[in-house]
Amino acid sequence: MGGPGWLAGTFAAVMIATAVYCVSRLVSARRWRRPTDYDVDGVHVLMGVAMAGMLVPRLNVFWDSGWEVIFAAAMAWFGGRVIRGYRHHPARPHRAPHDLQHLLASGAMLYMLMAASARSADSGSAVSMAGPSGSRFPTLALVLALGLFGYVIWTTDKLTSLAPVAALGVAAAAVPSAGQTGASAATSGSAGTSGSAGTATGVGVARVTPPLSPRLAACCEIVMGVTMGYVLITML
Amino acid sequence: MGNGIATDDGAAWRNGEQFAWRGHTAESGEARHGLGGTRTARDTRRRLQLVLGGIWLLDAVLQYQLVMFTRAFPRMLAASAPGNPAFVADPVTWSARLIDQHVVVTNALFATIQLTLGLGIAWRPTLKIALGASIAWSLAVWWLGEGLGMVLTGRASPVDGAPGAVILYALLAVLLWPAARDRPSPFAAGRAVGTVAARALWLVLWGSLAFFALTPASRAPQAVSRTISGMASGPPGWLAWVDQHAASALLGRGLAVAVVLAVAFIAVAAGIYLPVPGARAALVLALVLAAALWVAQGLGGVFTGAATDPETGPLLALLAVAYWPARTAGRPGGA
Repeated sequence: MGGPGWLAGTFAAVMIATAVYCVSRLVSARRWRRPTDYDVDGVHVLMGVAMAGMLVPRLNVFWDSGWEVIFAAAMAWFGGRVIRGYRHHPARPHRAPHDLQHLLASGAMLYMLMAASARSADSGSAVSMAGPSGSRFPTLALVLALGLFGYVIWTTDKLTSLAPVAALGVAAAAVPSAGQTGASAATSGSAGTSGSAGTATGVGVARVTPPLSPRLAACCEIVMGVTMGYVLITML
Repeated sequence: MGNGIATDDGAAWRNGEQFAWRGHTAESGEARHGLGGTRTARDTRRRLQLVLGGIWLLDAVLQYQLVMFTRAFPRMLAASAPGNPAFVADPVTWSARLIDQHVVVTNALFATIQLTLGLGIAWRPTLKIALGASIAWSLAVWWLGEGLGMVLTGRASPVDGAPGAVILYALLAVLLWPAARDRPSPFAAGRAVGTVAARALWLVLWGSLAFFALTPASRAPQAVSRTISGMASGPPGWLAWVDQHAASALLGRGLAVAVVLAVAFIAVAAGIYLPVPGARAALVLALVLAAALWVAQGLGGVFTGAATDPETGPLLALLAVAYWPARTAGRPGGA
C-alpha cells in the first residue's frame, strides 16, 4: 500500500477495534435479546479482520481465496436484499440505499482482495497492500472509493436523526398497544428477519425492546468507509 | 441496519425520514440547526454541502498518501514561490521549510484537519463550525501552500488549475453558508449572500478564468498542449489516451484554444444575468467546461499518487449546480 507503516498500523488497530465492537454487539444482542442487524454486524466483523490483514500482513488470519469467497457471498446476500427490497416495496425505493451501502462495501472488499492477490502473484509475496501501488483497474478503484465516501457523508448526515438508545427506551415504554401495530408493521416492513422486539405486556401497553445503539453502528460504517476509501485510493 | 429493529428507528435508518422517537423529522432537525429557507432550496443546499464535505474527505485521504509524508510534499509547496511577489513567496518558502523539518507530523495534522472538515460539514451540529473553519483553512492553504494559485506570477492558466482549487472551497463554503435568515434567491448559492452578491462572485470567478486564459503564458503556441501532455502519463489507459490525443490535436494552437476558452468563460460569466433559459444554457456550458478542464487536468492527478485535491473541475461543476435556477423562478433575480 502507498502509505506509511505507522498509518497502516493505526488504521489496522481501528479496524480491529471496530471488529471487536461488532462482535460485542452480536453477543449483547443475543444475550439481552436486543434487536440488531446480525448480518451487518457480522460482515463488519469480517471486514474489520480482513482489512487489518490487508493493512498489516502479519495480522492476516485467513487464507487469501477464502476472504474472496466470503465477500463474494456477502455481495450476493446484500444484493439479494436490495432486490427483495425493491420487489416487496416498489413504492419505497428510498429503503434501498442502506443495503446498497453494504453491497458496495462488500464489492470494494472483493476488489481490494483480488487486486492484492494479483499484485502478490506478480511479486511472489503474500497478499497484502504493502507492495508497490497501482491496480489493474484504477478507475474502478476510484469509483468505489468515491461511492464509499458518498456513503460515509450520507451516514454522517443521518447521525443526528438516529435516536439515542435512552430515548428509544423511554419512548418505547410509552408506546400504546395501538402503536404496536404500527411498530410491528414497521418491523415487518423493514424486511425484518428477526423482528421480535415488540411484546405485549398488558392491556393497552406494549413493551418494545430498544435496539442496540444505532448511532454507534453508524459510526462503525463511517470508520469502515473511510478506511476502505483510504486503501482504495492508495491502490490507484 | 433495519433488520430486526422492532421500533420505528429501524425504519428511520432505512428511510432516512421517520424519526418518531425524537418527535421531529429531518426537516425539523435541520431547522433546529439553523438551516432555514424554503424546502426545495434548503434541500438543494444541504445536498451541495454534503458533496462539498465529500470532496474534503477525498482531499484528506489524498493527503494521507505516502508521498505526502516525504520531502516531496514541502518541495511541491516551495515550487509555488518563484515568480510571486515577496509578500507571497517569503511566507510560502517559510511554510515549506517548516513542513520540511516536521513533514510526518505536519502532513498527518493537515490530513486529519481535512478529514475533520469533511465529517464536520456532514454532521449537522458542527456544520457552521466546519464551514467557517474550511474558509480559514482554504485561505491559509491558498496563500501559504499554493502561492495564491500563481495568479500574480503571470503563469496562471485555467487548464493548469488557476485560480487554485482551494480558493473554490472557500467560495463554496461562503455561498452554501446556512444563514439564520435566508435571502430570497432563485438558486441555492444566493440564499446566504443574496442574489446580487452571488452573481457578482460568479462573474468575477469566470471572468478571471477568461483573463487567465488570455495571458501570454497561457496563449503561447505550446502552452495548452504541454500542460495536457504533462497529465497524460501513467494509468488509467483511457485517460492517458484522451489526454495524449488532446495534447497532439492542440499542438501549436495555443492562441486559438485560449481565445475559444476565453469566449466560453465570458459567456458563462455573463450568462448568469440572463433570463432562466439563457442562465441554464450558460450553466450547462459551465458544466461542460468544468468536465473538459478536469479531463485536461488528468482528473486532478488522483492516479499519480501525488495529488492533494481533485483540482478545479469538480468544484466548478459544484458551483454551477449551486447556481441552477429553481423551477419556480421566472427570472434569475426574480424571486
